[in-house]
Amino acid sequence: MPTTPVRWQLGQGAAWRPQLDGALARARELGFIEVIAEAIGAHDLPAGVAAAIERGLQVVPHGVSLSLGGAERPDDRRLEHLASVAERVNAPLVSEHIAFVRADGRESGHLLPVPRTREALDILSENVAIAQAALPVPLALEHVAALVQWPDAEMDEATFVTQLVERTGALLLLDLSNLYANAHNHGYDALESLVRFPLERIAYVHVGGGRMRDGVYHDTHADPVVPGVLHLVEELFALTDAPGVLLERDDDFPPEAELLAELHAIADAARRGSEHRVGA
Amino acid sequence: MPRGGEASTVSAPDREAYAARQAQLLDALLRGGEPPAGFDAAQAAAAGSSLRRKRARAVAQAWPALALQLGDTFGPCFDAFARAADAPASGGPLADGLAFARSLRHATPLDDDARVELLLTRAALRRRGIFVGAAWLRRPRRRLLVVARLPGLGVMHCSVPRRRPRPG
Repeated sequence: MPTTPVRWQLGQGAAWRPQLDGALARARELGFIEVIAEAIGAHDLPAGVAAAIERGLQVVPHGVSLSLGGAERPDDRRLEHLASVAERVNAPLVSEHIAFVRADGRESGHLLPVPRTREALDILSENVAIAQAALPVPLALEHVAALVQWPDAEMDEATFVTQLVERTGALLLLDLSNLYANAHNHGYDALESLVRFPLERIAYVHVGGGRMRDGVYHDTHADPVVPGVLHLVEELFALTDAPGVLLERDDDFPPEAELLAELHAIADAARRGSEHRVGA
Repeated sequence: MPRGGEASTVSAPDREAYAARQAQLLDALLRGGEPPAGFDAAQAAAAGSSLRRKRARAVAQAWPALALQLGDTFGPCFDAFARAADAPASGGPLADGLAFARSLRHATPLDDDARVELLLTRAALRRRGIFVGAAWLRRPRRRLLVVARLPGLGVMHCSVPRRRPRPG
């Protein structure tokens, strides 16, 4: 399958949320924002998102309900909505998850992992192809943080994600917090896993905060970004220049100064990594 | 590298078996029950309580008066409710909280603020037609709050004292 070349530069990003509207409007170094596609109407953009477009920021619609990893084929109406939001904001791409969110008519309310098997890969690839055919722009796929693992894995996460993007031609939304969470909670080395992800297919990178609870790392998006994740940002940029890095904060919103400091810390980690790149 | 064309050869039974396995896992996570064979029970418990906590958080934000009344008991009360009842298919955290509030009413009488919240939410969730609801409030004095939602007019409310104040 032909692959879409990554030919945009997004820069520093932040997930747009109504509660962060003011702070993000004043964050001058932002190059892009991400909006939850299901949370906005295709014709009636929130004023803050319209203002961001006016300011020249790029907007990436981020879907959370397609359930591409589900047993059912993606729903036409959900795809139509995602496509129309992408057109409305003139998006360079859209993103969704390698996950299922419903089964047997019941909603999970969150992103659940798929078994890392060849069978799941077949179904996912078909679902992704259906989504790509319905979307006006390239699709990037994000691997999720999973507290529970399927017992019958035939490959590790980096291999599974690599095979999926190779088969579908999709781009990678690399979430370093999810990588950190899974490595910690399931006992493997995050850096060793990172180098085996398809880094040349990165559309952009997610970074979010989390918290350790009873020895388990929870990807809360309601806490500060932990040093281990910032370290992965640095390690990634020591390997390659990703087209964009975006901070996700969904709850327990911090004061504006704290949010900006976190954006700076991420940018600094990326810069340190680039400077230390072998051959740079 | 496998070719993209292979994806289209997945037959319907594969999807059915896959659907059944996902439904089993989801059921265990939502209800907090035993996970399917092969799954780590501790991992499944952590994943299930994380789902219910996320749902509780959204309801607490949509129902501030109810969350304030329940205080520290909100979390455990909601968790028990969530294990027994899925989130409604539509209406989001407002509708989820409505079902939760109704499940509580016998065990935990709602205070005035939570009753007002419940009434206004019922009016807000009614998208079509007429809604009229009422609740007795206790403070500052006993009175009947009436909330109505009428097409084209939106939500209106008025309160009627139980007894007219005595003149002079």
